[in-house]
Amino acid sequence: MKTEEHVYDLLPAYALNSLDEEEKIIVEAHLVDCETCQLELESYKQVVDDLPLAIKTKQPPADLETSIFEQLAADRQSPELQDRESWLDRLKSNFLSSAPVWGAASLVLVIVLLFSNLYLLNSLRAHEAVRHTDLTTVAMVPTDYSPQATGMLVISGDGEYGVLVVDQLPMLDDTQQYQLWLIYDGQRASGGVFSVNDEGYGSLLITSEQPLSSYPTFGITIEPTGGSPGPTGEKVLGGEL
Amino acid sequence: MDFNKFDDQTLMKLIAQAQEDALRELYDRYNRLVYSMAVNAVGENSLAEEITQDVFLRIWNNAETYSPQKGKVITWVSSITRYRAIDAIRSQQVRPEGHSVAWDIEGSLDNPDPLNVEERVEITQRQQRVRHAVAQLPEEQRQALAYAYFQGYTHREIAELLGEPLGTIKTRIRLAMQKLREYLEEENIAEA
Repeated sequence: MKTEEHVYDLLPAYALNSLDEEEKIIVEAHLVDCETCQLELESYKQVVDDLPLAIKTKQPPADLETSIFEQLAADRQSPELQDRESWLDRLKSNFLSSAPVWGAASLVLVIVLLFSNLYLLNSLRAHEAVRHTDLTTVAMVPTDYSPQATGMLVISGDGEYGVLVVDQLPMLDDTQQYQLWLIYDGQRASGGVFSVNDEGYGSLLITSEQPLSSYPTFGITIEPTGGSPGPTGEKVLGGEL
Repeated sequence: MDFNKFDDQTLMKLIAQAQEDALRELYDRYNRLVYSMAVNAVGENSLAEEITQDVFLRIWNNAETYSPQKGKVITWVSSITRYRAIDAIRSQQVRPEGHSVAWDIEGSLDNPDPLNVEERVEITQRQQRVRHAVAQLPEEQRQALAYAYFQGYTHREIAELLGEPLGTIKTRIRLAMQKLREYLEEENIAEA
C-alpha cells in the first residue's frame, strides 16, 4: 500500500473516538488490511489508556461504597434481571414462527427501524439493500464465551447485501471490536467490524466483494479495534446457511 | 482472606466468582480514579457518584468478560468509566463545557491507593510520566484533548463549543496526541 493512502493523520483522533462518522468509516475500512496503520493506532491507544492518570483525583463521598453494596444486594434479589428475555428472541419467535418469508421481511424492517443509526440507514438507502423481499436468515449460535448471546444475519434475495444484528454480547472496551467472518472452504473474509452498546445490542451492514449467499458459514470473533486480516481472538457466535 | 495482597487480575477472577470482598478491595484501589474521571466528564458531583456506582456494579456483573489480554485492569476500569460518563452526557444532555478538566500538571502525586507494592511503583511511575507529558502541551491542546477524551465530543462538536474552525480543532487534537506519544516513548526509552 502506498504511503499517501495511509490514514496517519486520522489515527490520533480515531484512538480517542472523536472522529466524525464519515472519517471513522474511512479509517475502519483502511485498518482492515493495513498492518502499518494498525501498529500506529496501537501506539496512540497506549496514550489514550494513560490519559486518566494525568488528572487530579479526589475522594468520593464516604457513603458511596455503602450505597454500591446495598444496590448490589438488591440486584441479587431481583429475579427479572436474571430472566431477561432477549428482545431478539422475542422478535424471532414473533416474526419467524408462522410465516418465515414474510416474517423475515418484516423482521428486517423492524431491525432497520430499531437501529436508527444514521449511517446504517443512509447506507441501506444508498445501496437499496431492502429492495428484495426474498430474504435468507441465518441464526447465529453462541459459544461458551457468552452463552446468553444471540444473533441473526439477514441476506437479501440476490445475496449481495446483508444485515447482522446481535444481542447480549458483552460490551468490549475501546481496544476491541467484534468482527464478522465470511467463511468458504476454510478461507475467511472480513464482513466488517462492529461494537455493542452496554446492553449488548449491535448491528452491522455487511460488506463483501463476493455475494454473501456464496458463503455457507459465518463466525464472529473478538479482534483489536478496526479488525484483523484474519481471526485472532475468541469466537463468540457462529452460524450456517 | 487478605484481599489487599492480591494483584488486580486475581481480584478480577475472584469478583467473577462472586467474591464480594474482592470488589470491595478493587473499590478501595480505584474509587478515586473512577469518581474523578466522572467528575471531570460531567462536571457535577451527584451525577459522578451515580456513574461511579454504576461502574462498580458493571464490574461486578461483567467481571467474567475481563481477560488479561484486554490489558491492565486499570485500563479496563478507566475505559468502562469513560464510556459510562460519555453515555450520561449524551443521554442527559448535560452540558459540561462550563467546567475545565482538572489535569494535574504540577507533578504532584496522589496518595497511593492500597495497591500492592509492585503495582504501586508501576502506577506511580506511569502517573509521573503522563503528568509530565500533559504538562508540556499548550493549554489549548489540553483543552481540546479533554473535551475529546472525557466528554466524548467529536471534532465537529468541539469546534462548535469553542467557536473555532474545524480544522483548528483537528490540528490541536492531532498535535496533542502526537506530542504525548513522543514524550511518553522518549521517557520509556530513557527509563529502559
